[in-house]
Amino acid sequence: MKIAIYYGTETGNAEMLAEDIATELEDAHETSVADLAETAPEALKAAELNVIVCSSYDDGDFPASAKPFVEKLNAESPDLSGVRFAIFGLGDSEYEATYGFGSMKLADLLVARGATTLGERIVHDAAGDDLPEDLALPWLAGILETA
Amino acid sequence: MSAKIAIVGGGPSGCYTAQALLKRAPDLEVDVIDALPVPYGLVRYGVAADHQGTKGVARQFARLFTRQKAQFFGNLRVGEDISLDELRAAYDAVVLATGLSADRPLGIPGEDLPGVIGAGALTRALYEHPDATDLPHLGATPLVIGTGNVAIDVLRLLAKTPAELHGSDLGAGPSDWLAAQGIERITVIGRSPAAAARFSPVMVKELGELSRADIQVRHPAPEAEDALNLAAAASSGPLPIEFRFETRPLALEAIERGLRLTVETPEGEERIDASSVISAIGFTCDGRLDRAGLLAEAEDGTASRLYAAGWFRGGPTGAIPQCREEGQALAARILEEITPDPARPGRTLFAGREGIVDFDHWQQIDAQELAAAPDDRCRRKFARREDLLRPALPQDA
Ligand SMILES: Cc1cc2nc3c(=O)[nH]c(=O)nc-3n(C[C@H](O)[C@H](O)[C@H](O)COP(=O)(O)OP(=O)(O)OC[C@H]3O[C@@H](n4cnc5c(N)ncnc54)[C@H](O)[C@@H]3O)c2cc1C
Ligand SMILES: Cc1cc2nc3c(=O)[nH]c(=O)nc-3n(C[C@H](O)[C@H](O)[C@H](O)COP(=O)(O)O)c2cc1C
Repeated sequence: MKIAIYYGTETGNAEMLAEDIATELEDAHETSVADLAETAPEALKAAELNVIVCSSYDDGDFPASAKPFVEKLNAESPDLSGVRFAIFGLGDSEYEATYGFGSMKLADLLVARGATTLGERIVHDAAGDDLPEDLALPWLAGILETA
Repeated sequence: MSAKIAIVGGGPSGCYTAQALLKRAPDLEVDVIDALPVPYGLVRYGVAADHQGTKGVARQFARLFTRQKAQFFGNLRVGEDISLDELRAAYDAVVLATGLSADRPLGIPGEDLPGVIGAGALTRALYEHPDATDLPHLGATPLVIGTGNVAIDVLRLLAKTPAELHGSDLGAGPSDWLAAQGIERITVIGRSPAAAARFSPVMVKELGELSRADIQVRHPAPEAEDALNLAAAASSGPLPIEFRFETRPLALEAIERGLRLTVETPEGEERIDASSVISAIGFTCDGRLDRAGLLAEAEDGTASRLYAAGWFRGGPTGAIPQCREEGQALAARILEEITPDPARPGRTLFAGREGIVDFDHWQQIDAQELAAAPDDRCRRKFARREDLLRPALPQDA
């Protein structure tokens, strides 16, 4: 399958996870990794499945590298019907009131433009003991079984 | 291209620069040198003990050494254990990412009195930096000068109950010290108006959520919705933390039970008595390297083969995200300007030198610290340099 992996990051954790996901999938699939900062919303139409990893920052805001993408989504209102994506959040439960908001808001925006979510969005908790890849790889494997 | 690059300083700036260099050019020889036996700079010794999520970037930095083939040379202070000139002769480029560790002086009479401590020195002691001074006695009514995020970090730690420190890596000594201070009220003063204070709203919000905090703002700013006023409204614990803005320190004097600070306010001069004073007004160069001269040289990297990054280059203000962004830009610039010379020895310069520790050494320390963590802590740091060096010594049978 053609799988495009995108990351929205502030300090690089999401980028690292995106690379881990690509490494995991590259034997069985045709993968690519890109920063959301350098991605046009329309580009999501090119892959059969888009995997998005996105953190949260400052009081539930998008991380810096997701912001230009979000601005384009808002300004250009592209029609993303037919686009399929799975989204994995990075967050920190110490920010209780806005835990995982970056990935949540991004998912909402994509759905509002017509895209479909595959699987449940889950969030890695930087204040917990799990490693992001230990959550994300099984999560994605489950999604791929049904995709 | 197999150019050889030495990065002096293993904090966020040095590590992100190395990461970006190796991402663009995986064949580079990138060496990260640090004066401490352990890597990561302020991620380990500045980012607060109760902000473990922020320290998560260390996992990326570890990959530099475990996957991207950078090498770590710890316990090696450039300028003392090895000269910068020697290093510059051995590498195709040298990046100075040594940070700014000295507390910026208050610049007022009495600033050196006993009972006055810089936030950098205090946080190093709290976070068990091997070169830290002893923890001071703060007394019942400490006063904090400065309203940036470092000041808020200090306030938060002073205000937390022992239970609110669960999950942190605050050591046993510092935890006992905190519990024993018996702080009854904290005053915070800042020169700027409230609206211009440097702290980030999230940090103030977090302070307002602590069970003991009772945030008060003298002369609240009219914009009642700002983070500080919201935190003041939300907090009602037993420990008053009073913020005073547009308050400039003029002089400190010793009084019988502590210190007296004379301040200038819009209403005129005032005196505030305190049991101790913590200055959190920024950082400066400790003077061990000639910062101004080196920065001037680093402007022309093609000629000097010298570069500067992070706080050492830009001053003590950016946070970790900025280190990443600048590290990526710097890496691109270095790769444009560098001319490798195979005659330069690179890391073979260190062969046979005593005392240097490598990344494997840090992994042992790391594993031991994690394994030794008590139930309510995520790590137990080794505080003394000799303990941080121990795995490097031949193992006793
Ligand atoms: C108390 C405090 C709390 C902070 N909290 C946060 C936070 O929560 N979130 C955030 O984003 N930012 C935070 N920051 C800011 C962040 O720490 C800085 O942006 C960042 O650390 C700057 O990175 P640096 O690499 O330039 O310097 P540093 O992190 O200081 O690293 C410099 C490294 O160089 C080494 N070194 C120094 N001199 C030499 C020498 N001569 N030879 C060899 N090695 C040397 C040092 O040992 C150190 O490891 C905080 C800063 C402080 C002071
Ligand atoms: C200043 C700051 C604010 C944050 N705000 C939130 C937040 O509102 N919600 C959340 O779930 N995580 C928050 N986080 C946690 C980050 O999303 C988490 O550390 C993540 O691993 C960062 O990934 P990145 O490096 O890809 O940006 C915050 C972290 C910091 C340092």
